[in-house]
Amino acid sequence: MAVRILLVDDHPIVRQGLRTLLEGRSGWEVVGEASDGVEALDKVETLLPDIVVLDVTMPRMNGLEACRLIQKRQMGAGLEVLFVTQHDSPQMMREALDAGARGYVVKSNAARDLLEAVEAVSQHRVFTALARSPNASR
Amino acid sequence: MKLRILLADDHEIVRRGLCALLQKREGWEVCGEASDGREAVEMAKQLKPDVVIVDIGMPYLNGLDTTRQLLQYDPHFKVIVLTITDSDQVIREALDAGARGFVLKSDAARDLVAAVEALQSKRMFFTPRVNDLVLAGFLEKGHAISRNEPPDLPTLTAREREVTQLLAEGKSSKEVAVLLNLSTKTVETHRSNIMRKLSLHSIRDLVVYAIKNNIIQIQMPQRRGTPETTVA
Repeated sequence: MAVRILLVDDHPIVRQGLRTLLEGRSGWEVVGEASDGVEALDKVETLLPDIVVLDVTMPRMNGLEACRLIQKRQMGAGLEVLFVTQHDSPQMMREALDAGARGYVVKSNAARDLLEAVEAVSQHRVFTALARSPNASR
Repeated sequence: MKLRILLADDHEIVRRGLCALLQKREGWEVCGEASDGREAVEMAKQLKPDVVIVDIGMPYLNGLDTTRQLLQYDPHFKVIVLTITDSDQVIREALDAGARGFVLKSDAARDLVAAVEALQSKRMFFTPRVNDLVLAGFLEKGHAISRNEPPDLPTLTAREREVTQLLAEGKSSKEVAVLLNLSTKTVETHRSNIMRKLSLHSIRDLVVYAIKNNIIQIQMPQRRGTPETTVA
């Protein structure tokens, strides 16, 4: 069965880039897109994704808050959140993991790290990689 | 004959998105991708694209100085600037640099194709906010853009701006020398001249200057969702 992925980022061009990257992989399916945290919560309920690829900085509701609500409301059994963000900082990464995320990838390195991150997170393993870190933590 | 487009953005994921968008158009091809401004200038010289799309916030050489260098090399280059903000100062600088198109990154999926089409037809393309600003400046002053607060930038030469960006990005004089193919002593001279011209006393002052004048852009974490976004 395909891994169902929801893409959440306020920039359509970034969503398009993420989609292009992920759709090249067999067994993965991008089931929808959202442009902010509020829309993301709605789509989690209706589309039932396995993984939410989530930006941090977004209008209306940011990604951290959306992630916390996904956890608090226990939306989707086994649902995992993977952040893809421009924030290349250990503090933000810690905050994301504390919010309940399983993965954290920096946007500038998304093309390098995203596939491996989705692979890990789909198996409920932690994947974190900052831009400057020589080795990702898997 | 195909319309050849060169893309310059430091985020590969954004370039992928832009490629997917542009290559849907029959008769258009992305002939090259650059991940910083210096690479964009070199690739443009080699590939001679019909249109160059440059992100403003790139490492080594920002999009505004990339535009300046491209047009200095060949005034026929058609450049579209991609930006995360359409503040007055950024608009002024993009127009001054010679950009013929100005598209917000958040609206790129909607506006970029129209912008490339405009340049292809020898027209310009700007966001509604740029058009308003240009018109307001024209009505108020009788020329293109009002300049209540002219940026400090023109006091530096193109080379000094390059050195400023690299130093503000945290590179040492030796690293700057290697990147620009200069001697360390020449870089130190540029550095002294920059500090003297701008009356700066420390690297911290230089970083603040670079941020204030859009030579580098910083990413500020936001705790709450807001209508503002920082970078794609």
